Amino acid sequence: MNWRNQTVFVTGATGFIGGRVCERMMQAGVPRVRALVHGMHRAARIARMPVELCPGDLQERESLRQALGDAKVVIHCGLGPSSTIVRGTENMLAVAQAAGVQRVIHVSTAAVYGITPPPGSESEEAPLRQTGDAYCDNKAAAEKVVLDYGKRGLPVVILRPSIVWGPYSAWSTRLMDDLRAGQVAFIEGGRGACNTTYVDNLIDAMVLGLEDDRALNHAFFITDGERVTWGDFIRAHMALLDPVPDVGEISRAEIAASRGPSSGLLLGSVKAAARVARGKEFRQMLMQIPLTEAAMKKAWSYVSSLPAQKRERLRARFGVRRAAAKPTRARFIPDAVTEATQSATVFFSIEKARKVMGYEPRIQFAGGMKLVEQWLRYAAYL
Amino acid sequence: MTEPVRLAILGCGAITRSEHIPAVIAHPGVQLVALVDTDPARADALIQNRGLSCKAVADYREVLGQVDAVLNALPNHLHVSSNLDCLGAGKHVLCEKPLAITAAEARSCTEFAAAKKLVLAVGMNRRFAASHCLLKLVISEGLLGSIQDYDFQYGGAFDWRSASGFYFDRAKAGGGALVDFGVHMLDSVIDWFGPVTGFDYQDDDWGSGVEANFFLGVKHTGRFGDTEGQLRISRTFGLKNRILVRGSEASAEISVHDPEVVVIHRRIGGAAVSQTLRLEKIAGGSSYWRQLDNFVQSIQRGTQPEVDGWQAVRVLELIENCYAHKRRIEEPWAEAGSETGSESRLEAGAEGSGGKQAAAHEART
Repeated sequence: MNWRNQTVFVTGATGFIGGRVCERMMQAGVPRVRALVHGMHRAARIARMPVELCPGDLQERESLRQALGDAKVVIHCGLGPSSTIVRGTENMLAVAQAAGVQRVIHVSTAAVYGITPPPGSESEEAPLRQTGDAYCDNKAAAEKVVLDYGKRGLPVVILRPSIVWGPYSAWSTRLMDDLRAGQVAFIEGGRGACNTTYVDNLIDAMVLGLEDDRALNHAFFITDGERVTWGDFIRAHMALLDPVPDVGEISRAEIAASRGPSSGLLLGSVKAAARVARGKEFRQMLMQIPLTEAAMKKAWSYVSSLPAQKRERLRARFGVRRAAAKPTRARFIPDAVTEATQSATVFFSIEKARKVMGYEPRIQFAGGMKLVEQWLRYAAYL
Repeated sequence: MTEPVRLAILGCGAITRSEHIPAVIAHPGVQLVALVDTDPARADALIQNRGLSCKAVADYREVLGQVDAVLNALPNHLHVSSNLDCLGAGKHVLCEKPLAITAAEARSCTEFAAAKKLVLAVGMNRRFAASHCLLKLVISEGLLGSIQDYDFQYGGAFDWRSASGFYFDRAKAGGGALVDFGVHMLDSVIDWFGPVTGFDYQDDDWGSGVEANFFLGVKHTGRFGDTEGQLRISRTFGLKNRILVRGSEASAEISVHDPEVVVIHRRIGGAAVSQTLRLEKIAGGSSYWRQLDNFVQSIQRGTQPEVDGWQAVRVLELIENCYAHKRRIEEPWAEAGSETGSESRLEAGAEGSGGKQAAAHEART
């Protein structure tokens, strides 16, 4: 379809990918871009452009209907908490179908195969499975909803990017912070598959999905098509720092050994220090367990009495970062999600996207890194 | 004993809730008569929440007969008409910044207040921060030697939960980062270093949006001679959030988030040392309290407020000049990534982000 003279509706527009989608739509000369905005205070990046900021919530159909307006093209990057992904997508598609939308690009993820995709998931034909991870499983369930709507006549295309990077991406900003704090390790020598997807390559694929009817009702892996490892990705960022930080190696066996046998979560929480208990990741792990000030004080006095080595092990077990980097001999132990992400062995194939809709990654890793470096300087990370 | 100033607050948005109400409650010289908001439920909720005994009304005109003064905290685009209404009714006005969207409108408010012999004060609370007053002393008493230049940065992910969401609408806000926090910066540096006589401005507005980032190089000509300064604001990136003033003998630094102290950096022998200065006595609680106190005293004594309308006009004229002569910040990553971008453009874009170019000053004012 000719999308260039259409009103384009973007969900997730205040996020990293959606923000760049809005910019690219502007650069392509689209007459109107309507952006779904859930938290208006997060809209500073897209408010720089003549984008229509439309308040709304993927969880509320009526607000979505109003936000969509007369747009006939939907680029769905919106997410929300894991538990709301499926319903949010279903709401978006129902509203789109009722409004006669002519194309929906659904931004899925290669993580529908899990944080560590199993061997055999190189191509899109591999069957989806339950992974036990809420984000992965909900994104997989959302794809099923999209395909159902496709069968009922809504023109849909599913894209599965992997590690989407580029200017504004937390993959780079967090890595810079972690490198400065001494909180990075090469897991298994950094050989894990990184599957970089430069954000503009992903948007090129969206454009192809809008234009090419052969893409309808298909799901495509979208990456940069290069075998970039996590070691490559980390080293490219290390090189931007002066002095270049020292990053050690660690094996998965060593990580497992450092964590020790897992104790009960609640017991663990009592043993953890107050500083640990206040950590964001830790809170997320515990979720429902209320931490009273009294309990934290008790925990603190207990932990304070432990020898330093044991305290460090406790901290590491919960994968909680230190408040600031300290010159310590203690070895950095990556948290479980980082370990799982960087232990991937599968490089996703983009052959299907190439064959069906002529996708060709335009920006390669080295060129993308140059742009990221310029942006990091501008954004005062360097 | 002087009668308390009877006050109505116009607008019950974020700043009223978080700063003005606590300041008014804590000030013995102010009697809060009414909270005004087009959404009376919002005013009611505040009254309940803070245990206030004032009334909630939807239209400020209903209460003008019962007050001596108003604190105007409506969205920016409503400032002028409401200021003129209140001044017309003979009420003193403390108006949140910016006084108006345009310098011409700010001028009309200021002239009207002067003609009516009423106090028109502008909410530049940072003038009342302890560190601001202290830095002014440090500079004027020569603690830094001769003033060389300064660098003022403020940035972080925008998180102002405005009740009406007017911030991203150019017609209602008057602009982006420059109007919003830039007015504070400019007001401060003009107060410290004198009038701006040259500038070079660039921002990241892509056209009819509001800027999230700007770089502004300025030249002041004041009692320290010519002083050059760099100002940068970001609504998207974390910056150093401080002002650093460099002098021939020492530097002075204020952290935006620590409004109480000034840190002096200097060298003794070969060693770099720092020294934290703090005022031993400062009245009241917050800068908003001292701003309100200054307003009340201006009314009761018939004196000029610390920040009057003319100072706001001066800042707004500079902002209009900046917008009129703006250049766009280069974003080579955005150009190279676009459909028409290419490897060659990518290479061409490899040098220099916008920031470095702000150093060139051009006298345009």
